[in-house]
Amino acid sequence: MSNWDDEWDADVRMAPPQPALAALDLIPQKEETPLELLIRHWMNERHAPEILPAQEALLSSILDHLRRQSEAVQTLRGDPSTSDDEHLRITLVQLDVERVKFIVRSYVRTRLYKIEKYARYITSSPAIQTCLTASERDYASRHADLNDRHFSFSVLQSLPEPQRHLDDEVPYYMPPMMTTPDTTRPVFVHALKDCPPVILPDGTRHEMTKGHISLTHFSVVEHLVARGEAELV
Amino acid sequence: MSTDVHQYGELGTQLLQESRRSTQTDTLLKYNDALVRSIIREQRDLEKSLVSQIAKTPENEAPPPAVIIFQTAILRNKRCLLAYHSHRLDRLRDMYWAVGGALPHILSDPDTRSKLSPHEVDYLRSYHSSAMDFRGEFSSELDIMASITVPPKELHVSVKVVKDCGVIQTELGTIDFKKGQRFVVRRADIEHLIVQGYLEEVSGS
Repeated sequence: MSNWDDEWDADVRMAPPQPALAALDLIPQKEETPLELLIRHWMNERHAPEILPAQEALLSSILDHLRRQSEAVQTLRGDPSTSDDEHLRITLVQLDVERVKFIVRSYVRTRLYKIEKYARYITSSPAIQTCLTASERDYASRHADLNDRHFSFSVLQSLPEPQRHLDDEVPYYMPPMMTTPDTTRPVFVHALKDCPPVILPDGTRHEMTKGHISLTHFSVVEHLVARGEAELV
Repeated sequence: MSTDVHQYGELGTQLLQESRRSTQTDTLLKYNDALVRSIIREQRDLEKSLVSQIAKTPENEAPPPAVIIFQTAILRNKRCLLAYHSHRLDRLRDMYWAVGGALPHILSDPDTRSKLSPHEVDYLRSYHSSAMDFRGEFSSELDIMASITVPPKELHVSVKVVKDCGVIQTELGTIDFKKGQRFVVRRADIEHLIVQGYLEEVSGS
């Protein structure tokens, strides 16, 4: 069990800042670089039906790094002694910065999409709220209010009094009023290391060794993804 | 007249069919105010019938089965109404993000504008300010409203000006984009103008 903790540490550890011109992600390292980590979280977020814990520390370190890179680029571009060769490398770094920004943007927007979709569920569940950053929480409650208001103005306020609520008890044959994430959605999961066995929905045990890829319900492998023992692909 | 006689829930089905058509053709249809109103009228009638049925039932007796019919019809209609509005909101939000959060661009288009209900215009305005607040939480380095469909392959892009868009700040200083001109500019500086249809990407140059 001790290796859980190790893995968790790796998640939050910052990589040391790299020299200005070294491209963000091209240096091969044995340990997962912040960018690889970001890509893993990005992929997980894109594939998971539920909203996953926010990676605030990772994100802010990457944003800091991007800012430092851009500043270095600005300085070097302004410096007349910069050689042609260096200008070429500057262009590469700039492009790289744009590409990393793209991933960050896509990651943030994926979360935003889920927040909008499950806004009411999020505002009613304190457990989920711990997965969000402060600004995401604010956004979720703003969004839930906004939608409620729209429904109320467009529909509910014109209905007879007893029908005006948004949280009716519905009979079993109707879908619930609140959209909740479907944790039984199938996902492809790739084991990053030998995983402890998981229990499949039909009760059988399933063991995944390192490198193994399975298709299963998200709820089955949720904990493996959270611990970084597996990733969604 | 057959048009005067209909089953409970028939109008609700019509409303849902509009949503479905909108999805299938990937277009925003005009807000069907008349249909929404008639369903709301039906809801009021249903509520009256329900109340009178319950009032007619003597105390200590189970209400007649008609009550269940009314209740089910009421719930169903209500869900249809909410689903219709919710589906439209989804579309509006998609439109909003597709133009990179340029709200005036949506609202100034007379064709789109005519399809929205006044409440929807209000919704978009509030949504825009909420999204802008969220965007403001990030550093000026990263614009989260920018496109996320295609990862950038090149730093610069060759563009043709389709519509005058005035003076724009770019990496190379300010450029006054005039219709018909062509430029090679940094993608990040002008991407929003491509999205909004002011500039057009010229490939293979």
